[in-house]
Amino acid sequence: MATPVTSGLKQVKPILSLTHIEAHRKVITLYKTWYRQIPFIIYFNFVKKANYIIPVTKEECQQKLREEFYRHANVRDLRVIDMLLVKGQMELQEVCAQWKPAATLLRYWKETEEPKPKDFMSKFLSGHE
Amino acid sequence: MLRLPVIKLTAGLQNGRIPVARLHITSSKLQQELVEVFIDDKPVQVPPGTTVLQAAAKVGVEIPRFCYHERLAVAGNCRMCLVEIEKQIKPVAACAMPVMKGWRVKTNSDLTRKAREGVMEFLLVNHPLDCPICDQGGECDLQDQSMAFGSDRSRFVDINYTGKRAVEDKDIGPLIKTIMTRCIHCTRCIRFASEVAGIDDLGTTGRGNDMQVGTYVEKMFLSELSGNIIDLCPVGALTSKPYAFVARPWETRRTDSIDVLDAVGSNIVISHRTNEVLRILPREINEEWLSDKARFSCDGLKRQRLITPMIKINGKLEAVEWEDALVATARAIQDIAPNKCAAIAGKLVDAEALVALKDLVNRLGGEVLATEQSFPKEGAGIDIRSNYVLNNTIAAVEEADVVLLIGTNPRYEAPLVNTRLRKGYIHGEQTIGLIGPNVDLTYDYEVSIKPDNTLHLGQSADIVTQLRNGTHSFSNTLKSAKKPLIILGVDQLTRKDGAKILSETQLLAQALGENTKAPEEWKVLNILHTRASQVAALDVGYSSTVEEVKEQQPKVLFLLGADDANIKREDFPNTCIIYIGSHGDEGASIADVILPGAAYTEKVATYVNTEGRSQQTCAAITPPGMARPDWKIIRALSEICGVRLPYDDLAEVRSRLEEIAPHLVRYGVVESANYFAQALELSKQVPGCLSSNPLEVKQETLDQFFMTDAISRASQTMAKCVQAVIKQRESNL
Amino acid sequence: MICTLVFVTEWYVGVCCRTDLLLRGTEVFHQNVIITEKLLEVVTKSTSHNIKITNTTEAEKPETRPTIRRITTDIQTIKDLGLYISGCLPKYVQKVQINAGDELEILICPDGVIPTINFLKYHQNTQYVSLSDLTAVDIPSRKYRFEVVYNLLSFVFNSRIRVKTYTDELTPLQSIESIHDAANWYEREVWDMYGILFRGNSDLRRILTDYGFEGHPLRKDFPLSGFVEVRYDDEYKRVVCEPLELTQEFRKFELSAPWEQFPNFRLAAPEESKEKDSPKEKDKK
Repeated sequence: MATPVTSGLKQVKPILSLTHIEAHRKVITLYKTWYRQIPFIIYFNFVKKANYIIPVTKEECQQKLREEFYRHANVRDLRVIDMLLVKGQMELQEVCAQWKPAATLLRYWKETEEPKPKDFMSKFLSGHE
Repeated sequence: MLRLPVIKLTAGLQNGRIPVARLHITSSKLQQELVEVFIDDKPVQVPPGTTVLQAAAKVGVEIPRFCYHERLAVAGNCRMCLVEIEKQIKPVAACAMPVMKGWRVKTNSDLTRKAREGVMEFLLVNHPLDCPICDQGGECDLQDQSMAFGSDRSRFVDINYTGKRAVEDKDIGPLIKTIMTRCIHCTRCIRFASEVAGIDDLGTTGRGNDMQVGTYVEKMFLSELSGNIIDLCPVGALTSKPYAFVARPWETRRTDSIDVLDAVGSNIVISHRTNEVLRILPREINEEWLSDKARFSCDGLKRQRLITPMIKINGKLEAVEWEDALVATARAIQDIAPNKCAAIAGKLVDAEALVALKDLVNRLGGEVLATEQSFPKEGAGIDIRSNYVLNNTIAAVEEADVVLLIGTNPRYEAPLVNTRLRKGYIHGEQTIGLIGPNVDLTYDYEVSIKPDNTLHLGQSADIVTQLRNGTHSFSNTLKSAKKPLIILGVDQLTRKDGAKILSETQLLAQALGENTKAPEEWKVLNILHTRASQVAALDVGYSSTVEEVKEQQPKVLFLLGADDANIKREDFPNTCIIYIGSHGDEGASIADVILPGAAYTEKVATYVNTEGRSQQTCAAITPPGMARPDWKIIRALSEICGVRLPYDDLAEVRSRLEEIAPHLVRYGVVESANYFAQALELSKQVPGCLSSNPLEVKQETLDQFFMTDAISRASQTMAKCVQAVIKQRESNL
Repeated sequence: MICTLVFVTEWYVGVCCRTDLLLRGTEVFHQNVIITEKLLEVVTKSTSHNIKITNTTEAEKPETRPTIRRITTDIQTIKDLGLYISGCLPKYVQKVQINAGDELEILICPDGVIPTINFLKYHQNTQYVSLSDLTAVDIPSRKYRFEVVYNLLSFVFNSRIRVKTYTDELTPLQSIESIHDAANWYEREVWDMYGILFRGNSDLRRILTDYGFEGHPLRKDFPLSGFVEVRYDDEYKRVVCEPLELTQEFRKFELSAPWEQFPNFRLAAPEESKEKDSPKEKDKK
């Protein structure tokens, strides 16, 4: 049977949250979940009998987690927040289940990336336009 | 040679119809009454004599065609453009039929479509089904039109191909590959050869099913414009030999750019893929034509390239890093005495690099900035621009009624100017006189009545004076001209009496200009350059000559792509020679430091062509190896030397260009020169007299056309062309 | 709710003759249907053409029409079916069109995904019980950039139908997993490739791309080479992930000839665009 249709004057359809308060609460929840999962990600996990072998400490992970959340601190659009939440949740699942390879996970630290040259001479010598 | 061979014949055959090929010249002038016709019920007003096909194009209805080409005479033999006209029983070939008042043309009716389908079926009966191995695939008119207009099923039952036509392939040179079985006899190549290229080598033999396009005898089709028949061929019968099996058109990227191998500055499209230039095609500006050097020398961009900086260590050039090369250069420049620094600019250099090098040399206290080709300093010299540009613009060349060529061979120095002259000669009854060696210009020029029976005005420089005085037989023709034009080859100005020749030519031009009633903007005096960088170099003030550099014996000499300067290492025993350029050629072989630069396909750069039009190339690919755009090398060098030039990016260089000469950054616009009278006054003071040496041109025959600069000298295709020309000459055909 | 009522009545009436019902539906709800004139013209033309061919022999009248692909499906039937469906679901169906000659397409609003698919699956006269495909198309120039396409198959009537709706990056669509189980993986695929959220999908996560992959590859703004490259780093003795330095060329297909066909008429603006515009394109506008 056809489901009753809820159409009205709403401009856009929400993804998850209806208000900013609700969104904020969800973000905090996600943050906390991540925070609590960090030890299980980097230390040996007795349930899964495995862990990520990555050269970062717990503190660095927490620092990086904070950075990543603050990176989107100025996002105000509810639906964008919700989309980020959905993706954050999926990311958490992938990391906790160790689906994601360590190399990809380490991309958060960008340690092998060299900064782009800024002034003329270094651009010239490195061949960047 | 028959003048007007095809056009007039067609006009005669068409029984009084206005020959269409002339239409685009005359239609603007003819203010006749317009006739109204209806194309698919859309009314359109066209001048009488317009063909159905052109009228349809005016309302945006494109009628399919194979043999018709806008810039060639009408042949009307492919029948693809058949359309239905109301109240006429048979379909009509739209390309050859002038419209009549009130005609209702149906370009998409059932009859029209059926007719096209039939024509297409006939064409395909004898066309091989080798599209997968055909180089035209993807840009093939036959392919496209059979998709759009052909039948969707075949009645072809001869699966053993017993009756399918097969034609022997011809060898018509190192540039054009022929697979004559694919030919559909549109005769575009034949018409191009006889009308535009001026070589009546191509033609048809046989009739009906046995008809073949060929050269009658075993002969190569050698012309400086031969590559254009590849573009013209609607099928894969004529394809490019160097480009054979290289790429499909849809997988390449196209970048609009400018050709720099002659001073015309033809607009080109660079077709490239994965950082490699694959081929070069013309853009519509140059009447869709392009010279073979511009089109086929692009393989020279991959060979002989300088890819790393090099320093001479113990008499041997060794590859080093940029830092080392720049530091070594800076060490040589360090504590240089004023006026001990000079530069010579080559023929392919862009305006940005010229300006940057000028700024650098000036900052190092040097004043001697030379171009490879000297320009006389007497008279107005390079101070007045009318002295050194083709003032009248290239497009207007065909409008002249009498043209005097002095010491130039436009056919090889600027092939696209020569096509304009030939067009004027064929369609506009142009009279052309030549002072200089007796060369084949593809059209007749004035026959002298002198007893020595030369076929041209003569070769001596004092004929210019005779023409002015009226003592020469040609002077009456010249003086009675409505739109006279003088084209002076720039090579003559490098002679000892160059300034005098220029001044005599100016006097003649002035006399002619006063005499005629040509409009105000008509400029009689024109200089034809052969080097892409020359006008820009003169504009920014490169006034010295190579001789002066030799006299000065600088401590540091910059060679900016100067490969044709004709200098030797022995000329500069105590000089540090720094070569900046793209190819390992003459210049690099004598250098102490080599800094690898970018070729014209690899940089965004400004060039000014012979008519004074500034245009810019676009970077299609990135420079190979460690090569960098030239101006950036100079800019980086200046920083290491401690005289930092104040520009970091292209926009800043361009604003510096604008400071020096604002027209350099007004792209696409011809900055017309003025002060003709003042230039004339100054030139009257030129001392000396004309020498009796005959005027010579550097490129007399076709084999001298192909390899003229570092890029074309590095090109294998060009070398093959030279070989082919020599072989052909020996075969006496 | 009108549509629901109609739906229910007909469900119980159980009319045995399908065409009868279709015609009735056509009459009742005709005013809701949008079919462009062009489309009708195409439809009538091709049908009359078919009839003509059967009636005339070649000896009597030589064929003067150009050859075109003949459509074997009975256009009238699918036309009636389309009209009937749009009649039954007036609230959701925005347009019914026949594409590529004989392919019936129902264009619906995003809210109507569940009711429409439900109707098509369970209605006696449609019975599109198989979801043969579910995918999306990215058209960045549109306000709703994604077009989501459901291809359905009816075994009973041996017919196919295409349902199309639209959405953007941030608007979730209702999952049809509750109706077609097959939709689960299809929707995961669409999420992975386009980033379209499906509300109600029980297991919405990536399906085709590698874990840690960034972006949705079938979006038009996704670079051909991706955002990151993976290489082995000798210094770190492990595989590292880096943003791509040398971006690969786009495959930009150039289909027009570089030389112009009518240079003399370059400046004269065509009074009307070429006639090659297919009716399909016009319909979409």
